[in-house]
Amino acid sequence: MWGQLPYLAKLEKAGIPTALIDFDDQHEMVKQEALAAGVPNIRYIPASRTIPGPEDVDQWLEPMLEMLTRPLTEKEKESGMYTPSQDRILFEGTLDEAQEFYQQTRHVPEPLNAPISVYTDGLPIVLPTEERVREMLKGTSHKPDELIAYQSDRGGRFERRIKKGDPVRFQPRAWTATVEKVAINAVMAGCKPEHLPVVLAIAESGVQTGTTVFNNQWMCLSGPIVKEIGINTGTGMMGPGNPAGMAIGRAYQLMALNLGGAVPGISRMSSIGSPINRVGLCFGECADKLPPGWLGLNEEFGFKKDESVIMVMGSEGGLTGAQFSPGGYRALQKSGHGGMARKLGVKGIPGPHNWLDWILPDIWAGEREGGRAFIMTHEMAYDLYRLGFKSKGEVLEYIWKKSFEPLKKYRDRSWVDLFTNGWLGNEPQSGKPWKELPDDYMVPAAGNRPEESCIIVCGSDEEICYEITATIRGMWGMQPVYSINAWR
Amino acid sequence: MAEKDKVYKFLSPVGMELPVKTYPLAPRLDKLDGKTIHISITGEPDITIPLEKKLRADYPNVNWTQKKSYMPMPVMLSDEEMKTTDAVILAVCW
Repeated sequence: MWGQLPYLAKLEKAGIPTALIDFDDQHEMVKQEALAAGVPNIRYIPASRTIPGPEDVDQWLEPMLEMLTRPLTEKEKESGMYTPSQDRILFEGTLDEAQEFYQQTRHVPEPLNAPISVYTDGLPIVLPTEERVREMLKGTSHKPDELIAYQSDRGGRFERRIKKGDPVRFQPRAWTATVEKVAINAVMAGCKPEHLPVVLAIAESGVQTGTTVFNNQWMCLSGPIVKEIGINTGTGMMGPGNPAGMAIGRAYQLMALNLGGAVPGISRMSSIGSPINRVGLCFGECADKLPPGWLGLNEEFGFKKDESVIMVMGSEGGLTGAQFSPGGYRALQKSGHGGMARKLGVKGIPGPHNWLDWILPDIWAGEREGGRAFIMTHEMAYDLYRLGFKSKGEVLEYIWKKSFEPLKKYRDRSWVDLFTNGWLGNEPQSGKPWKELPDDYMVPAAGNRPEESCIIVCGSDEEICYEITATIRGMWGMQPVYSINAWR
Repeated sequence: MAEKDKVYKFLSPVGMELPVKTYPLAPRLDKLDGKTIHISITGEPDITIPLEKKLRADYPNVNWTQKKSYMPMPVMLSDEEMKTTDAVILAVCW
């Protein structure tokens, strides 16, 4: 809830009464965050998601104002200490009994109205016996009781500066965790000890799940770790079958539930949810097949080539990438045949041709604005290299320039109302107030900077490029790449 | 004892909730007239624009102040402003 409850708690503690308007389905989250902020009895009233504003306000204006004047109840006058239990041993029994215990569900009422697993993603788990967790902890030199803390200074949400050593507060409940807690979740996900430094680096990200919209959580590994643990970077790298990728992806989702308290319908309100999060998504880049001069993600983000890192993304929006058929792509590049060649005006001329011109700027036409993660096969990356793009940066600059559109069109988008703060501020490129710019002023649909997009090269051969809606650098000021070496 | 009957201890994967000192709510107002009440607007203009209009029209004896953001993060009162503010309405929380 983006700091609203801590703010109201600060006001109440300072003797200023408050009244909060939320929505019906957000009540549980309000209660949880109010407790975490130290004011568990905060007063709130729901607005409607569907009734027009003036009519809606009429319905609750009086009771809302009464929240400021109605005398406090005895419960509302209470102060004290909330001390939740922190038992290390959760269950004692046989393996069969434990599997049943860990798969228990709770009924989550509307807007969900279905059973939801308490400790798992709904599937059976590897049971976290003391012995298995002890074995898992051999994968790191960090002590089991060490609190998960940031390993470097970095940017956080809303330009918040995070300092090395600050404890990680797992969202949405702002809980903390030890190395052992992460190891327990890694065991449950099916990880091996050699995966633990990766899972710890993921934990450092706070394993956020987003709020009300379609938020995808995904991760990309870069550096020697990719080969060390056998991550698939080739055909089907985002699909099933690779034990390391599957288990690490699942560990993210289990940590979101168990370390962050992200329960669907209560504190994880992604409206319809995302299939990407159903089990979890972790893959790796294929650094061996990068064109000359193109850097891996680790070097792009200031790490050395021999350092292992993980990019942890929470991206709102979609995954596209079937704009052209692989055969159509080959026809374009081999001999200038087919529809792609017709569109580009290169009929009968052998490649390389700039295939980006075939998909740009249309990828922003029916999709939301902002950066993209372009996940392309090595052959397609090499075609761009042969056309003169000697670095990823040059490609990103080209993509960004292709995304410019008139302000009149840009205004018709939805999210921009939010990200321009209701058009109250200044347009970043010109520095001029949004409201003073003419309709034909050109605005980049791909974000404020070329580097808000990124390129990941994949080792498979079937020619395709995925685009994941994702602002890689700078969204909310967050930095999404975490060192794995720091957790070895 | 058969393997299936062997008893194990299983560890808790749940994160650690820090102890929280809890506070009472602030004393409520004896009346609205003559008070300075701040409206903290966080998005949802379809709700917050008619809300502010109606408050100002129906309660002219309240000194209404306002800060707004289209974003969910509220524009906060300064410490000085808090000294002269009697109550706060925040809309909409999401």
